[in-house]
Amino acid sequence: MKMADGSTILRRNRPGTTSKDFCRWPDEPLEEMDSTLAVQQYIQQLIKRDPSNVELILTMPEAQDEGVWKYEHLRQFCMELNGLAVRLQKECSPSTCTQMTATDQWIFLCAAHKTPKECPAIDYTRHTLDGAACLLNSNKYFPSRVSIKESSVTKLGSVCRRVYRIFSHAFFHHRRIFDEFEAETYLCHRFTHFVTKYNLMSKENLIVPISDGENAAPGESEA
Amino acid sequence: MGTNSGATAGINNKPVGGAGAGVLGGVGANSSIGGVLSNSLGGGGGGLSISGLNSGGQNANVGGLVTGMGSGNNMNDDGGNGMSGGGGPNNQQATTPQYTIPGILHFIQHEWSRFELERSQWDVDRAELQARIAMLLGERKCLESLKSDLTRRIKMLEYALRQERAKFYRLKYGTDPPQLNEFKPTNEDSGLTGDVATDSEVPYSSVSNTTWRQGRQMLRQYLAEIGYTDNIIDVRSNRVRSILGLNNNAEHDGSSGGLGTGGENLSPNINGNESNKRASDTEGRHTPAKKQVQQASDGIIIDTEAAVMANFEFLGPTEMSDDDEISDDLEMVATDSDDTDVKLAKRAKSGKDMLTEEVDGSLGLGELAQLTVNNESDGAYDSNAKDGTGGSAGGAGYRKTWNAKYTLRSHFDGVRSLIFHPEEPVLITASEDHTLKLWNLQKTVQAKKSASLDVEPLYTFRAHTGPVLCLGMSTSGETCYSGGLDGNIECWQLPSPNIDPYDCYDPNVHSGTLEGHTDAVWGLTTMQNNIVSCSADGTVKLWSPFNKDPMLRTYTAAESEGVPSSVDFVRNEVDHIVVAYNSAHCIIYDTETGKQVIKLEAAQEMSGNTGKFINKVVSHPTLPITITAHEDRHIRFWDNTSGTLVHSMVAHLEPVTSLAVDAHGLYLLSGSHDCSIRLWNLDNKTCVQEITAHRKKFDESIFDVAFHATKPYIASAGADGLAKVFV
Repeated sequence: MKMADGSTILRRNRPGTTSKDFCRWPDEPLEEMDSTLAVQQYIQQLIKRDPSNVELILTMPEAQDEGVWKYEHLRQFCMELNGLAVRLQKECSPSTCTQMTATDQWIFLCAAHKTPKECPAIDYTRHTLDGAACLLNSNKYFPSRVSIKESSVTKLGSVCRRVYRIFSHAFFHHRRIFDEFEAETYLCHRFTHFVTKYNLMSKENLIVPISDGENAAPGESEA
Repeated sequence: MGTNSGATAGINNKPVGGAGAGVLGGVGANSSIGGVLSNSLGGGGGGLSISGLNSGGQNANVGGLVTGMGSGNNMNDDGGNGMSGGGGPNNQQATTPQYTIPGILHFIQHEWSRFELERSQWDVDRAELQARIAMLLGERKCLESLKSDLTRRIKMLEYALRQERAKFYRLKYGTDPPQLNEFKPTNEDSGLTGDVATDSEVPYSSVSNTTWRQGRQMLRQYLAEIGYTDNIIDVRSNRVRSILGLNNNAEHDGSSGGLGTGGENLSPNINGNESNKRASDTEGRHTPAKKQVQQASDGIIIDTEAAVMANFEFLGPTEMSDDDEISDDLEMVATDSDDTDVKLAKRAKSGKDMLTEEVDGSLGLGELAQLTVNNESDGAYDSNAKDGTGGSAGGAGYRKTWNAKYTLRSHFDGVRSLIFHPEEPVLITASEDHTLKLWNLQKTVQAKKSASLDVEPLYTFRAHTGPVLCLGMSTSGETCYSGGLDGNIECWQLPSPNIDPYDCYDPNVHSGTLEGHTDAVWGLTTMQNNIVSCSADGTVKLWSPFNKDPMLRTYTAAESEGVPSSVDFVRNEVDHIVVAYNSAHCIIYDTETGKQVIKLEAAQEMSGNTGKFINKVVSHPTLPITITAHEDRHIRFWDNTSGTLVHSMVAHLEPVTSLAVDAHGLYLLSGSHDCSIRLWNLDNKTCVQEITAHRKKFDESIFDVAFHATKPYIASAGADGLAKVFV
């Protein structure tokens, strides 16, 4: 980073930093990160470097607590899914998508309410993301970001299942948005790999087709 | 010439009188003063030379007085001789000056009377001081004898108590008590003396020691702040009064104690009553003290505190020396200070009914005593709770200590900015996770460790496609604006603070996008219906978001200034904005003409621009002052009218990232990458409080701080994805 004084690199986004230079600093090895947010820093660094290198991003460093690793990845997914939600907000309205569906097989009920409700797709999307944000930041279930209780790790699976429906809805009903977003972020690709790798969702629920080919852009893989 | 000098000498000697010795004694002084005289004469006017001489004499005089009072006269002689001795050269060099002998005479007489006046004044002062010394000595003696008396009384009472307990034990069990334990007999005692004693004794022994010490600490702190010396005389007189009061009390107590020990046949009832009473006295002790602490601003009460303090000070060593007797000692402290309170309550009759009542209640028996027990336990709890943060009692707002109360966790990444609603306990946070969230501090979820409350967001604003960097809010609190790394400024209509978090999506919340910047928007601020923004594209833009064509004007500085990093409206000057640039300079623009009004720079201070980068600029709400937060750990204050640096201070251990001034312009809040926020008194630029609030992510920690305009809230936003609100 150019603002570094002396030999030490200060990883800071000072006011006035251009979007091009935002977070543009030399990578820092995980071992050298002494922050409690080291795992998040590390994951974001990998994504920044090359979002398409899903394998590398999901490769857990040695001596890393698996619970924390999964938790931080899921946080990152939910965060990046905001981008998809922003795009969907423009197109997916309660009048066009009255229910949260992917294929015609299932109507998903929104779990954010006391009694699950048949929310329109856009509400379902927002509620699910808001609910996930609250759960993943809950002081009760995830009071620490350096160690995760075993009982809380099980919560991750259900969050994954719910947020995955956003991908599937976008894929089946707003294909253009999905493809644009995917081309930029490789998020669904990464997510599918993630849940498969850590066995957080069953295979039959993964209805968005993702080619396993090394460099195949997900947009090219046809349903 | 000869006659002249002779005459001068004569004249000089005349008013002084007894010159012979003076001439001899003044030899040393002669030479030096003569030198002064001739020097100044060479310069010009004769009047001058004499004044020079006189000042010399005066100085000598003062010096003499410092060492001894009596020497004033001699010094005066010296002065006179100095003049006469110096007369030779004097007359040679300047024979013409317009001294007239009567003039000189008059002058010397005048000086003489002045010295005399001063001398008498000093005499008076000395006498006063001596009197005070005598008084203090007497007082000290008095206190010492009192102390020894009290110690004796403690021992006596203790002995009596033991005897009584032993007797009681014998009566009850028919055998000698196996061991005189301090605590066990207390329980037995309480069983006999009734409820009041039971209630008071148990909590008292557990809390009193710590609370007492805390109280003392607090008092000491206050005293240091109010300037102990100013009140010292009052303290003394108070002490004298308390001694007088104590003596009465001592007699009374002593007699009852005597009864206890002497009268073997006394029924246990009397003993019970006595201890009962003492217990209630004990309770009375803390409550009034607390009250006093809370009303610290009241002058009389300050005295009271000082008096209490003095009492504690005096009894402190006794208490420390013999730990075994703590409980008994404390009882003594209790009666002691209690008595002071009575005195003071009487003295401070001016509407201090509360105090008097308290004391009366605790002195009298019955239900009132019970009441004070409750009060005391409350007070103890309070002080314990507050002690946790090392602060002083915040009751009367004498000095408020801010404590973390709400934690706002729901962002997935660093919170870049936050802003309070102007009236409601509502705030909005903007994060690098691309969202903004709305929080209502009245809708809380009790967290596990009761100390802080978790708040859940009410609404998530989604429109930015990159990190959100800055926020602004309209003065009505209806509209909010956010600037992002994507270069857009989004306008939002605030949903109701009572909205259901899982309500249906209302696209109208997002009321528009201000497009115009071509790079990240880093600064945003509002004034009435206008907003001004600064961007990494190098421009500052003024917007009127409700206009058809919202962009009003663009301000661009010279290339050499670099990119703007922060912007604010000049609050006391209409149509002025202040912009901080990469060059570490601030420029004030007139928004109407678009012209630069003044540039805030200090060549020396800012030389070598390395690391002086400005992270944040704010304008004082009422004064023509601009405050800047710098990468080099400084906060700097600038005068808007002259453009000069007013004050510069190292404020943090790492770069200062954020600033906020409270609505009245009295306090400044700063946040830094050293993980702490600091509150500053703008009056004397001292740090009032430091709070470690956030954790680091990479090399960043705190991004923003804020004051609520009308409610006592402050808040900080951090790279750890949290926002915290302090009350």
